[in-house]
Amino acid sequence: MSTRGVETDEQQRIRFQVELEFVQCFANPNYLHFLAQRGYFKDPAFVNYIKYLQYWKEPAYAKYLKYPMCLHFLDLLQYEHFRKEIVNGQCARFIDDQQILHWQHYTRKRVKLLQSQAEKHMMTIQNEPTPQKSV
Amino acid sequence: MTSHKSTREVLLTCIDDIEIIAKELLDNLIAQKQQKPVSAEHSQLVELVLQKDTELKATLKLAEEQGVLQQKVVALETEVERHDIEIRNLQKQLKEAEQLLATAIFQAKQKLQAIDKANSRPVNSEELIKFAHRISASNAVCAPLNWQQGDLRRPYPTDIEMRLGFLGRLGEMNVNGHMSFPELLHRPNHSMQQGSSVPNSQAGTYSWLSQNDLQMPGLSVSHLGVGGGMDHKTPKKENEDVDVMSTDSSSSSSSDSQ
Repeated sequence: MSTRGVETDEQQRIRFQVELEFVQCFANPNYLHFLAQRGYFKDPAFVNYIKYLQYWKEPAYAKYLKYPMCLHFLDLLQYEHFRKEIVNGQCARFIDDQQILHWQHYTRKRVKLLQSQAEKHMMTIQNEPTPQKSV
Repeated sequence: MTSHKSTREVLLTCIDDIEIIAKELLDNLIAQKQQKPVSAEHSQLVELVLQKDTELKATLKLAEEQGVLQQKVVALETEVERHDIEIRNLQKQLKEAEQLLATAIFQAKQKLQAIDKANSRPVNSEELIKFAHRISASNAVCAPLNWQQGDLRRPYPTDIEMRLGFLGRLGEMNVNGHMSFPELLHRPNHSMQQGSSVPNSQAGTYSWLSQNDLQMPGLSVSHLGVGGGMDHKTPKKENEDVDVMSTDSSSSSSSDSQ
């Protein structure tokens, strides 16, 4: 590797992009499982890198994130227990399922709201003709 | 003081005594008819009766005075009771007031804390809106309304998206172009056609970064030293990862709808 000097602007920019993408990859539990299976989480250098990546939690950096839930996984990864657990395929699948269900939470809520609104509307429409008939 | 009898007892004993003496007298009078008169005893008894009578009258007077005093006492007691009730009422009201004030102060303190907290980390509302738009427009935090089972879109970057991103391309160039990473750093525009800066040239290829915001205004340089040792290792690792990930059984590799 080259000698560690001051990074040029260009290098900094590239490093920013690289780390931005990499930290957001953590939002994918399958990727985490993949990394765990290949033993990356046992490498102390990698563990230090994950610790270093926590700077993405600061607002100045976090505003560039498209998948903010990666920060939650970043936090979880700081714990050795989680790093050990995610080697298990069942664990990864469970997290994936829960993530997708949570992802659908707002959609489900909105659908329910719309349905109840539609039902109310139907009822008011049905109730309208009857007073006229009685007259 | 325990030897003092109550006025009622005194009266009653007086009356009993008079009763006894009266009985004696009458016995004597009856006996007088049959036997010799015992006048000395008789007069003594009469004197005794008179004495007891005066005692009785005195005690009665005492009882009267005591009665008057007792009424005063009762009146005073009712006054005291009344004052007591008023004091208790006041106490209750004071306690309620104290509680209300305490709640009000607590809530006010909380509000102040919230204000301080908000002031300490102010966020530009425009930035907030930009961020909110970024994370929701691409369905990253909320599922698309027509999402069904089997739809490939996910709340996280899928492996295809990862491969299409900057990291993936970095890996390709490394493997295919046989360029070392330091060279790559110095020649980022090799594969890109446009512009002088890397961010602008990546405009259409991936959905990770929003093109306008990549100027990195005022980002601190403090991460330079810390991240230094990791930079060379990890991108190369990502290259391996991205290539090998196609063998990952849990993610499908059919075409991405996005």
